Order: sequence, then C-alpha cells, then structure tokens
Amino acid sequence: MAEQILDVRDISVARGDVPIVYDVTLGVQPEAVTVLLGANGAGKTTLLDGIAGLAKTTSGTIGLAGQAIAGLPTYRRAHAGLGYAEQARTVFRSLTVEQNLLVARTGNGDLGTAYRLFPELERRRALGAGHLSGGEQQMLVLARALLGEPKVLLIDEMSLGLAPVVVRRLMSAVRELTSLGIAVLLVEQFAHLALEIGSRAYVLRKGRVVFEGPCADLAGDDDLLKQYYFGTAEDPAEHDDTAEKVAAEGEAR
Amino acid sequence: MLGSVVAGLTSGGVYALLGLSIVLTYRLAAVVNFAMAVIGAMGAFVMASLTDAGLNVWPALIVGAVSGGLLSAVLGAGLVRWFGAHALRTKAAVTVAVYVALMALGLRLFGSVTTGARRFPQPFDAPAFVVGDVVVPQAALVSLALAVLITVGVTLLLGRTMFGLRLQAISERPATAEVVGIPAPRLALAVWTGIGALTTLVIVLVAPRLGGDFSTLGNLVTTALAVAMIGAFHSLWLTLAGGLLLGCLEGAAASLEAVQAYRGVLPFLVMLALLWWRSRHEVWDTATAAR
Ligand SMILES: Nc1ncnc2c1ncn2[C@@H]1O[C@H](COP(=O)(O)OP(=O)(O)O)[C@@H](O)[C@H]1O
Ligand SMILES: [Mg+2]
Repeated sequence: MAEQILDVRDISVARGDVPIVYDVTLGVQPEAVTVLLGANGAGKTTLLDGIAGLAKTTSGTIGLAGQAIAGLPTYRRAHAGLGYAEQARTVFRSLTVEQNLLVARTGNGDLGTAYRLFPELERRRALGAGHLSGGEQQMLVLARALLGEPKVLLIDEMSLGLAPVVVRRLMSAVRELTSLGIAVLLVEQFAHLALEIGSRAYVLRKGRVVFEGPCADLAGDDDLLKQYYFGTAEDPAEHDDTAEKVAAEGEAR
Repeated sequence: MLGSVVAGLTSGGVYALLGLSIVLTYRLAAVVNFAMAVIGAMGAFVMASLTDAGLNVWPALIVGAVSGGLLSAVLGAGLVRWFGAHALRTKAAVTVAVYVALMALGLRLFGSVTTGARRFPQPFDAPAFVVGDVVVPQAALVSLALAVLITVGVTLLLGRTMFGLRLQAISERPATAEVVGIPAPRLALAVWTGIGALTTLVIVLVAPRLGGDFSTLGNLVTTALAVAMIGAFHSLWLTLAGGLLLGCLEGAAASLEAVQAYRGVLPFLVMLALLWWRSRHEVWDTATAAR
C-alpha cells in the first residue's frame, strides 16, 4: 500500500463505557479522498470522534504524518494537522462568519484561500453565522477547518439535509481540497457521489470494517453496497438485526 | 430615605460586580460557582493579614488578589480535570462542597464574627460631595464607576479581542472549539484566575462597610446569585442593573424601621419574584405555542 498520511491501527472507540467501534484499521492516502461508508448507527461518527479525540479510544494507535497522536488532547491533534468538519454543521452561531474563521486560525492559516474556495462566505463575512443557509453553514465549517492548515481533513455527513445542487457544489469543493495538498476522509450518506470523487473506500458495519478496497469496486453496484451495509443472508454469523428490521418493514407494507 | 438609597448604591456596585463574576463563570466555564465569594474572602483576608503584619496596602492587595486568583484556578482546574464531562448540577454541587469546606477553613484561620473582624483599609471613606442633606461617599462613586468600567471592559474583551472571541466559541460549543485548535483548558484556567482575582478586589472594596468578618463576606454569594438571576445568567448589562437595583432596595429597606431587621431576605425575595415571573412567561409561551 502507498504511504499513508493518516494511519489508524486497531483502534477501538467507546462512548462513555459502551464500546461502539472495534479494532478498526484504516489508512488515508495523501492528496486523495478516502471514503468511509456504512448504514446509520454503524459507528462512523464515533470512529471520527475517536480519531479527533472527542470520544475515548480504548486501544490502538493513530499516526498523523508519522506523529503518534492518540494520546493528545483534541486541540493538540488539531495543531498536529488534523482537521475535522463535524456532523450537523457546528458553526459558532454567536460569532460572525469571519470571526468563525479567525478563532480557528493557527500560524499562517489564510482567509484568502478559504474565501477563494467559498466566495459566498466572503460576501457574508460580517453576518452572524446563525443566519447562514444550511449549505453556507456547511461551507463555513469546511472553510473554518482549512484555517488550521490541516494535513488531513475528516468530513462527516456534510450533505445531510441539503439540496442536490448544493451537495454537488460541496463535493467539487472537497475535490479541490485534495489539489491543495489536503487528504480527506469523507463520511457520506450519498454513497454514489462520494465514490465518484474517492479513491479508496471502507465500509463499516456494527463498528467493524467489512469492506476495504478501491471505490470503483463499489461504485454503481447498489446491491453489493447494501450487502455490505446490512450483512448478507449467506453469512449467518454476521446476521444483522438492522437488515431484519428493514425486511420486516418491507413485508408489512 | 434618599440618603440610604444612595448609600445602597455603594453596595449596589459591589453586588453588580459579584453578579458579573457569577454570570461570567457560568457563560465561559459552564459552572454555577457557589464558592465564588468565599474564594474572594480568602484572598481579601490574606491581604488583611498582611496589612495587619505591617505590609503596605498596595503590595498586600496584589498578593491577596493573586491568592484569590490561584485558589479559583485550582477549583477551576479540578472541575475541568475531574468533572469536565459532568452535568451542570454536578459541578454546582462540587462548588457547594468547596464553599462549605472553605467557609470552615476560613473561620478556623481568620476567626468568627466576634473575634475575627478585620480592619480593612478604607481608602474611599471621605465624602465625595453633598446633595442637599445627602452625603455621597467616595466609595459609592468608586464602586459604581468600577462596576460600569468592568462591565464595559468585559463586553469589549469578549466582542473585540481574539481571546474573547475564542472564549465565546468555547462557551457555545466546547468540543468544536477544541476541534478547531482552541486550547480550551488553558483558556478556562485564565478565566478562573481572572475571575478569582476580580472577586477578591470586589470583596476588599465592600469589606469595610460590612464589618469585615469572614462569614458575612463568604455568604455574599447569595446576593451574587440573585443578581446573576436578574441578568438571566447571561446579560452583563442586566446584571449590572440588577446589582444596582438590589443595592438601592437594600438601602431603602435599611431606612424603614419596620422592615430593617428583615433586609437580609431581600436576595431571596428577588429570586422568588424572578422565578415566579419567568415561570409565568413560560406558561404563557407554551399556551401560545399550543395554539
Ligand atoms: N453519546 C453516545 N452514547 C452512547 N451511545 C452512542 C452515543 N452516540 C452514538 N451512540 C451509539 O453508537 C452507535 C454508532 O453511532 P454513530 O457513530 O453516530 O453512527 P453513524 O455515524 O455511523 O450513524 C449507535 O448505535 C448509537 O446509538
Ligand atoms: Mg454519524
């Protein structure tokens, strides 16, 4: 495998004392989009929170550009080059657009780059972040992450609840990030869009990696993807009650 | 009567500042700190002990403020370290425990009402000016000016400086603030230290008027909480107004012989009135929402 800028080995992540993610090994390659897929509740957010230090990792190591970061507090991981655009558009609503960017600036982080990527934000720089539309808030969260000069950017469900045209706009922005030298780990519900711009893909089911390979292997094959999401009938050991529920609901209708 | 109200303004400025400390701790560190005033009293008594021992007032004041700041920082660090992820009420309970402990320690170290009242320096005792037959002491002006100045200063600090903007970010989304690289624990410690030092200065300012015994000063937290409630634990300007209002009410009550003995329950009455007023509005809100 090519050298990895983010090297996650055998990590397990817990929420409180409840283990959610088990022994995940995952690599993110430089200047590329790595895609992390999985059904609702598979543990994607928990895994990202574990990498960023927001949830407790109970085992394993995390290497970022050769530096071991698993023992560091969240803000030091950010300083080490880990960016994280969290789920649910976490702008600071009490601050203006520009203040959102300024509080996140470290070192030479540059507003110009952020504004070039998202001109919408420059036009609204003095507006309270709470007054932005959903799409603009998502742009602000991405732009804010850039101000920390990340080497790797984790992005969680950025398209949730947004119009398709906005989602495409965001996806092309993510692709541009890689040309700026940033590696991306992208968690996405719209699997086909993510697989279009991604190179490698991982699928998480019930907290474990059940698929790892080129995005091309999954792209365009919804049935295969569904099998990885929910488990398969031929695989009783992996029998999944989520799949069962979905099937039951289907029959009820 | 007017004279008593004006005299009440002296306390009013002080109450406003104490309320401000409570509100800031709540907004910036997400803690309702019942130990606020007793920490300030500790700092103030360190100062008084030093001046008693013959040290000049100003260095003593600095050492006292630093002590109050450090004590506050220790409490803050402990809360961040061991109770960071806990609910608001748990952290409040911890500060109640610290309040009880520091009260006991303070009384042991500095004596009780009868034995331990210290002579605090009274630099602003002279009358500033006289209106009609009302003498306005310097202390009233100083505490008023200080209250306004600090409210303005804190507002500017929060809205205009990088330090303040980052504090706002932490207060709104603590986890996200760290995600974007803001060193939240370090900034929280700075906040605790600053507020501890400020509270010490405020207690020093009010101590001579209140007789300078440890438990009276430590118990000022009830008044501070009432004032913070007027500010809804958020608005700095409402907190300032609330402090002044409570001071004037207290002054007025002191001048009416019939209620004089009961003026200690004023903060309680204010809290009760606010709770009733706000709950009334909530009921009204849900009624309209249901429509
Ligand atoms: N704070 C929490 N405490 C306990 N369990 C949680 C918490 N957050 C999420 N979970 C559980 O962890 C599992 C994975 O959640 P999550 O990581 O959000 O999944 P995804 O992002 O893939 O939808 C779910 O079963 C969810 O119920
Ligand atoms: Mg999620």
